[in-house]
Parts: sequence; C-alpha cells; structure tokens
Amino acid sequence: MPIVRIALASIALLAVTATAATVRVSGPKAAQVMHERHEGMEAIGKAFKVLRREFDSGSPAVPMVRTSAAQIANLAKRSSGWYPAGTGPDVAKTGAKPEIWQSPQDFAAKLSAFQKASLIFNAAAASGDMNAAKARYADLGGTCKACHDKYRTEMHH
Amino acid sequence: MEQPFWDLPVRLIHWLLPALIAFSWWSVHNHHIDWHIWSGLAILTLLVFRLLWGFVGSSTARWSSFVRGPRAVTDYLRGRWIGIGHTPLGALSVIAMFVALVVQVGLGLISEDEDGLYTGPLYRLVSIDTSDNARDLHELWFNVILGLIVLHIAAIIFYRLRGKKLTKPMITGRAVLSPGAQPMRPGKWWATLICLALAIGITRWVIAGAPPL
Repeated sequence: MPIVRIALASIALLAVTATAATVRVSGPKAAQVMHERHEGMEAIGKAFKVLRREFDSGSPAVPMVRTSAAQIANLAKRSSGWYPAGTGPDVAKTGAKPEIWQSPQDFAAKLSAFQKASLIFNAAAASGDMNAAKARYADLGGTCKACHDKYRTEMHH
Repeated sequence: MEQPFWDLPVRLIHWLLPALIAFSWWSVHNHHIDWHIWSGLAILTLLVFRLLWGFVGSSTARWSSFVRGPRAVTDYLRGRWIGIGHTPLGALSVIAMFVALVVQVGLGLISEDEDGLYTGPLYRLVSIDTSDNARDLHELWFNVILGLIVLHIAAIIFYRLRGKKLTKPMITGRAVLSPGAQPMRPGKWWATLICLALAIGITRWVIAGAPPL
C-alpha cells in the first residue's frame, strides 16, 4: 500500500526534521554538510528541470520521469541533515538565509512539506499515470517555492 | 512656434519602456518571476511594434531618417546638421538601446529560473545548460542596459545645460524647430493598427513556444 508507506515515511521524516535545525556543527563537519547541501540542491534542481521538459513535451518518457522522481525523493530524504545550526551565511558562502535558524519550526514544516510532496510525486511517477504525475510535480514545485521565497537568497557561483 | 516632432506611438513606447524595465527589475527581485516574464513579453510587443513602425511610421520614427553613417555623425559634431528627430549621434544611442533590449528579451525567452519553476516561453528550443547560461547572461546584460540608461540621462542633462530641452518634446510631441527644418510628417492611423496587430500576433506566437506555422 503506497499510501501507508507514504504516511509512515512522512512520520519518520517529521521526527527527523524536528531536530534538523537544532543540532550544531562546526569546522570540517560544517563545510562538509554545506557542500553536500549545495550539491544535493543543485541535483534536485537539475532533476526538476529534466522533468519540466518531459512534462511540457506532451509525451513524457516514463522511465525518465520515474528516475528523476526517485532521485528527488531520495535527495529530499537526505535533506533533513542539511540544515544543522552552524551552516549559515555567517560561516561560509551559502544561499541559506539566517532566518532558517531563527524560525526553525516554520522551516522544518516547509522542509517536511517538500519531503512529503517528493514522496507523493515519486509514487505517482512510479504508477505510470503521467497526468497524475504532472499534477503532483506541480505540487512539489509549490513546496520548493514556498521555502525558497523565504529562506534562500540569490546565490551566484 | 512649436510644431509636430514626435508621434504618439513613439512617445508612448518611450515612456512605457522605462516603466516596464523598472517593473521587470522589481518583480524579479521580489519573487514575482511570473510578472517578470509578462513584463518582458510586453517589452517584446513594444520592440516588435517599434521595429515595424520604423518603416511605416511618422518621418521622425523611421529608421531611414536617423540611421546614418559615420560622416553624418562628424557633420553633426561640427554643427553642420539640419533636421529634426534623432540627431546622427543620438541615433547611435537609440540603436544601441534597441539592440540591447532585443538581446535582453531574447535571453529571457530561452531562460529558466534556478529551480526550474519558471521558464521563458522558448526555453524548450534549447538545452537545460543553455537555459541556465542564458539566465546568468540575462542578469549580466541588465548592466549594459543600465549603462545605456545612464548615458541617455547624462546626455539629456548635458543638452539641458547647453539650453536644449529634450524631455518636453518627448511628452508633448511638439518642439520649436531650428530654421530650415521640416516638421514631422505623421504616419497613417491604420498603419499603427496593422503594426500593433502584428506585434501582438508575433508575441502570442512566441508565448505559444514559437510553433511551426
């Protein structure tokens, strides 16, 4: 039952994200987390763009959609560990705003919404129903935007 | 006595451009990328209209009346130019601004935002990497436009200090002509409508992703 799986996974995620912004790291550990976060977010963005082109083409390639959806869900799961305290712009160059650690509950809720949406989208992609997948993809994009509007600065690299 | 100098479409386009450029800048910096894209498409409509109007519009609107070679520019600098409309030197600035805006809109049309949430209507014509590069260039190119705006305003101030008011004619469309100059010959009203219809039609075609005709 995918619904049950999603529900269980969501609960597990919530438990993890609740602590995400309260752990503190420093030194090489902080640098490592920030690097992984940057690479991970970039990979999510790239997969999202691949999907956009697939859905906009009118006849999405199902295997491509499934692979990218799984990739995003996988990275989204790991994102719980990407925002420990001590990885903000005061430490090194990052697009993450200090507000993340000033309102940890709201941030955790938004991160969790993203993770849930990534699982739901992944399930829809796996089902092979591309119309449903496209709708869930749009929902997922909404969760990216909700968080980025508030918690990410424009970053150039 | 003041005589016709700039036609209404030229003046409308002239003042709509800075408004839309300012709005484009504001919207993209305030998480309104959708508004930013619509603003760019409005600018595209103005540019297409202006391009066409430059062939059938009033005498001072026509490309042929102000796109001149280097000799005309040196003649003008030596004070040997009689005419109305864009001076040979000012025309260079007009052309630079027009080309810079065409480049900027072109880059915007194939761009996508960092997250892949928003795309210019022609993004599918290019690869993901090209779209991302186009976005970065689009942002950099804005500095070229800013530079031209600064130059434009500096030139207006320069002429003003020398006693020539350029802003008022661009609002009222009328100016006192220098002796020997012919007043503006207006364009046809129906030509305006045809240019407008074409500009809107071409913009809609671009919004649709430029499908084969």
